[in-house]
Amino acid sequence: MMKPTDAPSRDWKALLLRHEMILLYVLVAEWLFFYFAGTSVNRRGVVIGFGTLDRQFDVLRHSCEIGLLALALTPVIITGGIDLSVGSLLGLCAILFGKLWHDAGLPIPVAAGLTLVIGTLAGGLNAVLVTALRLPPLIVTLGTYSLFRGLAEAITRGAVTYTDFPAGFLFLGQERWLGLPTQAWLFALVALAVWLLVHRTTFGRSYRAIGYSSEGARHAGLPVASRLAGVYLLAGGIAALAGIIYTARLGQAKADAGTGYELFAITAVVLGGTSIFGGAGSVHGTLLGVAAIAVLKNGLACLPVVMELNAAEEIAGLLTGALLLLALTGGVAFRMVPRLRRPHRAPSPTPPSS
Amino acid sequence: MTDAPLLEIRSLAKSFGGARALRGVDFELRAGEVHALLGENGAGKSTLIKIVTGAHQPDAGVIRIGGREVSGLDPASARRLGIACIYQQPALFPDLTVAENIGLRLDPGHALRRVGWKKLHEQAAGLLRKIGAAIDPEAEVRGLSMPEQQLVEIACAVGTGARIVIMDEPTASLTQKEQHLLHAVVRDLRREGVGIIYISHRLEEIFALADRVTVLRDGESAGTGAIGELTERELIRRMVGREVAQIYPPAERPPGGVALAARDLGCAAGGVRDVSLEIRAGEILGLAGLVGAGRTELARVLFGLTPADSGAIELDGIPVTLRSPQEAVRHGIAYVPEDRRRHGVVLEMAVAENMTMAVHRRLFPGSWLRSSAERMLANGFVRDLAVKCAGAQAPAGSLSGGNQQKVSLARWLATKPRVLILDEPTQGVDIGAKAEIHRIIRRLAGEGLAVLLISSDLPEVLGMSDRIGVMRGGRLAGVLPGGSDAHEVMALALGQTAKGAA
Repeated sequence: MMKPTDAPSRDWKALLLRHEMILLYVLVAEWLFFYFAGTSVNRRGVVIGFGTLDRQFDVLRHSCEIGLLALALTPVIITGGIDLSVGSLLGLCAILFGKLWHDAGLPIPVAAGLTLVIGTLAGGLNAVLVTALRLPPLIVTLGTYSLFRGLAEAITRGAVTYTDFPAGFLFLGQERWLGLPTQAWLFALVALAVWLLVHRTTFGRSYRAIGYSSEGARHAGLPVASRLAGVYLLAGGIAALAGIIYTARLGQAKADAGTGYELFAITAVVLGGTSIFGGAGSVHGTLLGVAAIAVLKNGLACLPVVMELNAAEEIAGLLTGALLLLALTGGVAFRMVPRLRRPHRAPSPTPPSS
Repeated sequence: MTDAPLLEIRSLAKSFGGARALRGVDFELRAGEVHALLGENGAGKSTLIKIVTGAHQPDAGVIRIGGREVSGLDPASARRLGIACIYQQPALFPDLTVAENIGLRLDPGHALRRVGWKKLHEQAAGLLRKIGAAIDPEAEVRGLSMPEQQLVEIACAVGTGARIVIMDEPTASLTQKEQHLLHAVVRDLRREGVGIIYISHRLEEIFALADRVTVLRDGESAGTGAIGELTERELIRRMVGREVAQIYPPAERPPGGVALAARDLGCAAGGVRDVSLEIRAGEILGLAGLVGAGRTELARVLFGLTPADSGAIELDGIPVTLRSPQEAVRHGIAYVPEDRRRHGVVLEMAVAENMTMAVHRRLFPGSWLRSSAERMLANGFVRDLAVKCAGAQAPAGSLSGGNQQKVSLARWLATKPRVLILDEPTQGVDIGAKAEIHRIIRRLAGEGLAVLLISSDLPEVLGMSDRIGVMRGGRLAGVLPGGSDAHEVMALALGQTAKGAA
């Protein structure tokens, strides 16, 4: 039974703030560390490594796709669900986009528009299975995770890679616009939209209610099924956008695009303070989570020690895992500390009188 | 030492949050006696039982077992002291056999020790024989009927050498024949010197079985007496109290037209059959019945949670279909559910967020949250319903039961409903908040709402209702006029005319 506390709302807010604030400190510390340890001057007197502006833009550029998937997953996880299929869907959409443009001869904007529609429909498959058939999201999206990747490989027979995209399209993935990598603007736009959705609309309010107690939400007359369907549709659409951006960045569309991205995205979301059990969570937390992982990954690649070992990926994975576990256990510890401090109020046992 | 009672309780007190469940209860159980514990829902019976079985710790009071004072009782030590409890819903492992279940209970064993299958089987067979139960020890519990499972529980109690056996409404779901079998087992146990605390709502059964009766009312003992010295009327008077007519606010004006009508309403999934009823605007229709009589199920049908598969629902004379809560809400039906912690409020969310949850469309046009509108609505209800909370931003879970109930009620009042269904609105709510909720309900009816009041609290139904519907086995057994007395309601709910009713 929950006991009444004196100022619970302030406690809760402080907790949430604390998690995100701590993540922010970690991010700043990380960045400063790599700035000092990962920046050097080469023989010709040119500054290289983490501290250069080019490198910073690189970090941003490389974070966009995983960042988009993390944004797509945030509402899903807030409702208490999960979508493992977004990485595979990114790959499938990249392939379909390439095929629509290259094989079907459609103009780029039309091909992109169609790809977004297809991605949303693919998310709709998850939505139908989760809401209409009431199957657990973990299992459903584990299935579509294989299905989408398999489709992508079947379409290309594992061999075809679409390349030779026009320069106008590659501008989206490889150039800068108004000083920033072009795709960063798209990412910022999606981030703002998802933030407004989750934190400023009745949709976001419903996601939280469903995540905390889906039966409670149903009893409140909230349209639980359609809200759930919505988050999976949205996830599909955003995954498709990530697929297009991926293609523009690498200049090629291949079937293995985005392999394993869903796990990085989930890590970022959970690191950002969104509860995997649903209910609590925030989009700004997710953004911080994405940034923390991206800086870690790219920063490590700039450390001389790591470069010698040639194991940046492995060490990044290791440290990301450690960071996530630390964040999770840290949260639990936070909740335990006040409990430990509070004096026990159990009545002192009187010895049995005989 | 031998003439000391098996169990002696003095001035036991226990509060949950602000609600005082027990306020100084005395109770005594002698060896070889069946002592019935009687009281309305919320009178404190289950709290008393939970303290005796060690599930709850008392705030104050003395418990003596066999003359020795015990404190810091927990479930394990209660079992060691010979206390066993048989619940209405037996807590057995459905996938294990009867013998395995009994074996586990008697000797939880050790992870590394081998299981003596033969011994297990013989032990179970012996115990079952002893209580006269014809159950195969090798049968899987899943395949047993509810009474058979209860017999297995009793076998466990006997096997552990329990001296104090508590039975919590053991016959609630039993047929007449099964009841007789159970009664025989109870009498056997009594002959062997076991003390039995017997909780039941069935007065007949208590007169047939009990030696003494203790009545609890509002967490206090309303007297103990030998069964021979008491009449059924006297027992009900003690259970209900005297001031029924005075503490409930009276109707302010005659009811208007029919707001909600159900015609031969049925729902196979919910077990509701052929219910026809009408509720007028401004009227409180009470709905009484035993637990499991189908009252909540009827409410769920009317709210679209489990849609009807036969019959018709009319609102203000117009036929409607209610296939989901959204549709019901759109038609002006509101449902304050029984389980407020799971269904009534979202515990983790703020009071204000809970209160506006059913009016998103109206309060937030274009789906954009407007915190000023939300704050205004929430503060208004916090003031009107006198919700005690640290502010509208406090999570609902930090409130006491009664205040959570008010939040749940506020959520539905915000929808400005025409029909308000209240399911056990005062269950687990302390006396003060209870009276307040009663006043609010009456005021709402006065404002023209049609209210369906489901309650297991008989005095509440009797005191609040303009008419009283009584359900039994998924059907509406009858509708009584307001001011009917407890005997008539009980008789309909039990499906028999209670003997001894004057």
